[in-house]
Amino acid sequence: MNDHDIQNRFEELEAGRILGDLDAEEIKEWEILSRDPRCKRDFSLELTAAAVEAEFLQSRQSELPQNLKEKLRTGITDFVVPEPVKVDSLPAWRRILSAPQFAWGIAATFAILLVAKTFFQEPQSVQPVPLAGVALPPAEAKSQLMRKASDLKESDFGGLTDYGKMTGKVIWSDALQEGYMTLTNLPVNDPAVKQYQLWIVDPKRDEKPVDGGVFDIPATGTVVVPIRNPVAVSDPKAFVITMEQPGGVVVSKQQVVVAIAKAS
Amino acid sequence: MQQCITQYSGLVWSIASRYLKNHTCVEDVVQETFTDLWKSANRYDPTVASESTFIGMLARRRAIDFVRKESRRPQFEPLPDAELLPYSPTEPTPFIRGESGDVVAAIKDLSEETRQIFFLHFDEGMTHPEISEKTGLPLGTVKTRLRRGLIEVRNKLRHAESGEAAQPSISINS
Repeated sequence: MNDHDIQNRFEELEAGRILGDLDAEEIKEWEILSRDPRCKRDFSLELTAAAVEAEFLQSRQSELPQNLKEKLRTGITDFVVPEPVKVDSLPAWRRILSAPQFAWGIAATFAILLVAKTFFQEPQSVQPVPLAGVALPPAEAKSQLMRKASDLKESDFGGLTDYGKMTGKVIWSDALQEGYMTLTNLPVNDPAVKQYQLWIVDPKRDEKPVDGGVFDIPATGTVVVPIRNPVAVSDPKAFVITMEQPGGVVVSKQQVVVAIAKAS
Repeated sequence: MQQCITQYSGLVWSIASRYLKNHTCVEDVVQETFTDLWKSANRYDPTVASESTFIGMLARRRAIDFVRKESRRPQFEPLPDAELLPYSPTEPTPFIRGESGDVVAAIKDLSEETRQIFFLHFDEGMTHPEISEKTGLPLGTVKTRLRRGLIEVRNKLRHAESGEAAQPSISINS
């Protein structure tokens, strides 16, 4: 291949990377080519993908839920003084860049990140840090789901072997793709040594269980843990909790199965 | 920043919802995207990309990264940090403002088949196997059409925005 062919091949792989469709062989090839000085990289394909996506989504843009909008606004206004007047003619981004408080904002980056961190430590938004169970009284989110979901399914967890004293329930809504586990008497774990991991059995999607997220039990008693399914799940047949290495695993060997909830 | 939230939160929410089905995960991605905005604000260059394109890219990165982390697929390389924009590893990024009219025109210029695949992927949010099943096209063809279509749109946007002759580097019909 000449330089032109190599650049073309790299561009095609780069497009695949941005579209998220590289297979294992292509990933290796991309890694090699990305280090090749003959391959030029820039952000143009990624920007193009974003522009195309924004264009298609323009007609179906939905409104941000009010509670999230408030959360964002509250988090930000804690650190932003009122903007100066007479900047309406500038685009929003220019306004940020030209506002006097922006210089202060840069200096306060660490403080802002602290706020963001605080944000993400709230019960519903702790990924990618493993989930911590939410101490009862029941999380507002779970109550909300119970109020708004019309297709709620509920199953009981049964603890296995060493976890026989454990009890719990799982609620799940296919329509909202949201669910929560309420777990009682699950032993406290040391996240540095081992962590709990949820698996969702959805035969319609895959024969292998879908990863439902890693979580910790920080204290004895009852905790509510939100389910995090990165891919859509429909009509799950069972929920399985296993004990895994810190960070969880891609495929569980099911050496320690803690509890199972079968759909009724 | 308040205005950014007002103006672009719908876009960020829609992008996150396209990649993630779980409501809680979508909320996380929206929050992380706006935190990224804070971190990247001083690096944003309006001559390289429009606000919506830039913010759309941040949201897209966050959502895709989230899916990768959650599904724990092997990672080949994390996307470069948004705050590096507009500085690229090897080349300066040519401007891709992504103005709506230019994007629409570039998509319209695609072949009928590629346009349909674009619609199914970017609008309907279908996966490649789903597109393959719906259209009857082999999976490899779907992948190739999408990739090359993206490159073709990029080339057309460069052409439209710079006035230079488009340099299609890959034949779309091959």
